[in-house]
Amino acid sequence: MQDVMNSNNHDTALAMKFSITKDKLVENVNHVMKAVSSKTTIPILTGIKITASHDGITLTGSNSDISIKSFIPLEENDEEYATIEKTGSVVLQARVFSDIVKKLPSEFVNIEVDSRLITRITSGSSEFNLNGLDAEEYPRLPLIEEGNVLHVRTDLLKHVIRQTGFAVSTSETRPVLTGVNWNIQNGNLNCVATDSHRLASRTISIDADENAEYKNIVIPGKSLNELSKILDDSSGEWVEIVITESQILFKTKHLQFYSRLLDGNYPDTNRLIPTESKTDIILSTKALLQAIDRASLLAKEERNNVVKFRTLEDSIEISSQSAELGRVFENVELQSLEGEELKISFSAKYMIDALSRIESQEIRISFTGAMRPFLIRPVEDEGILMLILPVRTY
Amino acid sequence: MGFHDLAKQQKTVSRILTNALRRDQLAHAYLFEGPKGTGKRQAASLLAQAYFCQTKNDDTIEPCQECVNCRRILSGNHPDLVWVKPDGKSIKKEQVSNLLKEFSYRGVESIRKFFVIEEADKMTAQAANSLLKFIEEPSPQTIAVLITEQAHKLLDTIVSRCQTLTFIPLPEAQIAEQLVQQNISEPLAKLSAAVTNDIDEAVDYCHDEWFAKARQLVIQLMEGTMGQSHSPLLMIYDQFFPHFDEVHKLDIGLDFILYWLRDILAIHLENEKDIVFIDQIDILKNQALKSSMQQITGKMSAVLAAKKRLSANVNLQSVMEQLVLRLQGGSHHAV
Amino acid sequence: MDTAKKRARIIFHIDMNSFYASVETAHDPELRGKPLAIAGKVEDRRGIVVTSSYEARAQGVRTTMPVWEAKRHCPELIVKTPNFPLYRATSQRLFQLLRSYTPLVQKVSIDEGYMDVTEVASDIHPVQLAKSIQQKVLDTLKVPSSIGIAPNKFLAKMASDMKKPLGITVLRKRDIQSKLWPLAVGEMHGVGSKTEEKLKRIGIHTIGDLAKSDKAYIAERFGLYGEKLYERANGIDHRMVDPEAEETFKSISQSTTLSDDTTSVAVVRKTLMMLAEKIEGRLRKKKVSAYQITLSIRYHDWKNISRGHTVKQPIQTKDDIMGHIMPIFHEHWDGRPIRLLGITVQSFEELGHASKQLDLFSYQSDLKDEPLIQAINQIESKFGEGMIGSAANYKNAHRSRKKDAGHDH
Repeated sequence: MQDVMNSNNHDTALAMKFSITKDKLVENVNHVMKAVSSKTTIPILTGIKITASHDGITLTGSNSDISIKSFIPLEENDEEYATIEKTGSVVLQARVFSDIVKKLPSEFVNIEVDSRLITRITSGSSEFNLNGLDAEEYPRLPLIEEGNVLHVRTDLLKHVIRQTGFAVSTSETRPVLTGVNWNIQNGNLNCVATDSHRLASRTISIDADENAEYKNIVIPGKSLNELSKILDDSSGEWVEIVITESQILFKTKHLQFYSRLLDGNYPDTNRLIPTESKTDIILSTKALLQAIDRASLLAKEERNNVVKFRTLEDSIEISSQSAELGRVFENVELQSLEGEELKISFSAKYMIDALSRIESQEIRISFTGAMRPFLIRPVEDEGILMLILPVRTY
Repeated sequence: MGFHDLAKQQKTVSRILTNALRRDQLAHAYLFEGPKGTGKRQAASLLAQAYFCQTKNDDTIEPCQECVNCRRILSGNHPDLVWVKPDGKSIKKEQVSNLLKEFSYRGVESIRKFFVIEEADKMTAQAANSLLKFIEEPSPQTIAVLITEQAHKLLDTIVSRCQTLTFIPLPEAQIAEQLVQQNISEPLAKLSAAVTNDIDEAVDYCHDEWFAKARQLVIQLMEGTMGQSHSPLLMIYDQFFPHFDEVHKLDIGLDFILYWLRDILAIHLENEKDIVFIDQIDILKNQALKSSMQQITGKMSAVLAAKKRLSANVNLQSVMEQLVLRLQGGSHHAV
Repeated sequence: MDTAKKRARIIFHIDMNSFYASVETAHDPELRGKPLAIAGKVEDRRGIVVTSSYEARAQGVRTTMPVWEAKRHCPELIVKTPNFPLYRATSQRLFQLLRSYTPLVQKVSIDEGYMDVTEVASDIHPVQLAKSIQQKVLDTLKVPSSIGIAPNKFLAKMASDMKKPLGITVLRKRDIQSKLWPLAVGEMHGVGSKTEEKLKRIGIHTIGDLAKSDKAYIAERFGLYGEKLYERANGIDHRMVDPEAEETFKSISQSTTLSDDTTSVAVVRKTLMMLAEKIEGRLRKKKVSAYQITLSIRYHDWKNISRGHTVKQPIQTKDDIMGHIMPIFHEHWDGRPIRLLGITVQSFEELGHASKQLDLFSYQSDLKDEPLIQAINQIESKFGEGMIGSAANYKNAHRSRKKDAGHDH
């Protein structure tokens, strides 16, 4: 801090200077703070990078796994947000900076950085002097090549994330399974996630160059979760997606969300999905979900809430028992039943996870035996598929 | 530091690494093995710079030290260099899970990643096994460097999958020379180079007042054991014990005594360039005249015996008393 | 069982009244006197009531009722999620307390158990003893209980059901006609709704009807299980109070001292393999699988360490055991010479209940057993569940659905 005392006396060159409305600054600092972690092993990542350019101000926060860039234009809709006096950049301690800007007294904030990176923040009667860090030290996020951009509606993207992200593995034993595997081909985006006990797959058509083809793009489930939180689906906006060799970028109007990709080959799950079935049932999604939910109350949580399931003539029976709590039987009426009788056991948790992500009123469940994976699909929608591995009882 | 600096101390290591870089044939995993202070960490950092440098000299393979990658490797801010150093006794759980995550993710800035694991022998079994998994199926653009002083403590399966580079300790004379280059007086430089082969530790010693005073006291004591002016026994109570008041301190003192006796032997053998107490050459010569080589080796074994008793927790003062009597016994002024 | 006939026994069945709700109330006195329900998911109106306090029941709240319906009956109902660790801890203290009266205590479930007080009751009247136990439980655990006193387990169990909460009911052999026989056969402990239906179909509506029916006829229709039911209806039950019923199943251990101290991983592996094989045999014999595994090492200097963990997939075979034990060994062995090695498995589950979550990438290896499982399913669907499997499975399959759905009535 010894430099701070001198900064006003010595005539040091200006490295960056701008002023900005406090509200806009606070709003955008909050956006990028979502990516900043205090637990980082890279010192510079404890900071927020602030860049003033001729068209506006960019803030960047990152924990190296995800990075968020937030852009504040000079003006928008006839409202003026910022004026730039000198372009440049600096990195400021994120926690301190974010606390300071929230509490500044005036509507406007001036930020001025000298050549020694001493940063003077003034607002109304208050003045802060912070030691800045060299923006050159900050990670370089991959540059966007304008050519290969995919477009997806924001609400649809959030949907796809919700319908697949839950099935990723949380165990480190096979790291590539902690991500959702994206494949883009023929204008379709297929997303697959599996923790090896269940699998979720969703295919949507997207707005992309016909020849755009990407394989084995494995996005960490955690990143997608964070992305989903910051996407505002009510706006009806579109998200631009750019894929680079190491990162994937999701770009909305003023926000850019980067996530590192997982390394390694995602297993070929297509060949693991059964193509024939021996028992096919159609029933109400909601009725089944509620019945399983109730039955799972008596199933042991630490052992995956196993419930028993069997077909009767025109209904199915779900049962569960626990030595401590007792037994429960639930019956759910069937719309149709084709094929063999079946008795099977499975994790109620996996079933609830899958059913609660299907919006369709009716589902078809296709079984090929008590020890083989079974499929849950909406009756009228081919784009979504949930697969669950049963539990073997001895 | 560049490869030319590394070559001064670790010629073989430097040659192997520069050759591999030149041919673009770096191994996926290196094991840097060797005693403390032999430049393993600096070499790992240098290799990381050479791997990421944007304006590397294609002939010499030297990283530029100026580009943003070279600078960030030194400042610890390069996001694709993962440097793990045990926090205390072992590598912590949080460090391990971060390491595993970094292994499984692609890089931040490109698909190139570089891992350095210091004191790799302190890895938990879990960390070692996942490391092994990575070494067995490495991503093409990932390099790992394991650093250890105790390679024998690593799992065989890991060692066998790494290219091992052995870092050799610097010769005493070379350390002393380097210290002198750093404006350290020759007598002090020679003594600290005799005590350690870790250059950093040697520099620390030279700037340590305790070390300099210890040297003075040993000179005084050794002068006394053969002189007539004052009784060395009195001297050890008056000055020696207050200074060498702990076992490890007295142990260093005993080493100094050993070097003194070795110096006398060197004079007998006309091997004066090896002399540590170079500023006391007149006294040493005088003592060499008064004692036979046999007497000196006898005294040296007395010092070694004292060191042994010290490590067996015998009382400091009784160890020293007995030693002083034996050191005097060899001179003309036996008590 | 034979010795049991020699002398009239005095058996208590102690049953905690609305245990979970009572424990919650004991833990949070604010809840006292208020209607309380325990439900799986408080935030979700679709969740069902697992149990409720007497105050809630008085207002029409019933076990298995959805929360929204329960709230309609009782708008001020307080709903909480189950706190099983607390219930288990309370249960443990309960049984400790009961064992301070007699070692002959058999835990049946978290909140009920039998006591054989024949010896204890030689100098105190059984009803006095029951009162003192009931009061002690209420004082120390703040949980009400009901105690049934009878000459055998079945009658004691029936008796404890007769008066709640804080009831003490004596059911002697000579009371059977007046107190037991008028009850509907579905009320009988051990009769589930399916059996009840079948019994009604042959004209048996009350316990008395069953008691007066033809034993051979019942045995023919319901097998050994029917025979037992007939005997119980007549007040006959020779089962002993077995304190070991739970204890004996707690753990299986195998250990061996090595002929020479070793630091050889190969020797360790061979030794553990041999122990694992023995444990596999004992698990098979007991028809259980285990959820906890522990490795014990004794070093040459007699220092011992034990390290273990809990697993999600039940341990059954020597391969399962080795798959867990070698990583534990590698993680914890410090390289010193080993004198003794031991393996312990515990936290058992009967095989009929044990399960294994199949894996998408490896389920094919389980398919070799598919024909067998199909065959069992076919037989079961023809002849009813529980025809194949251990006696324990048989018993469980016939436990009352109605009674077991909730714990406390």
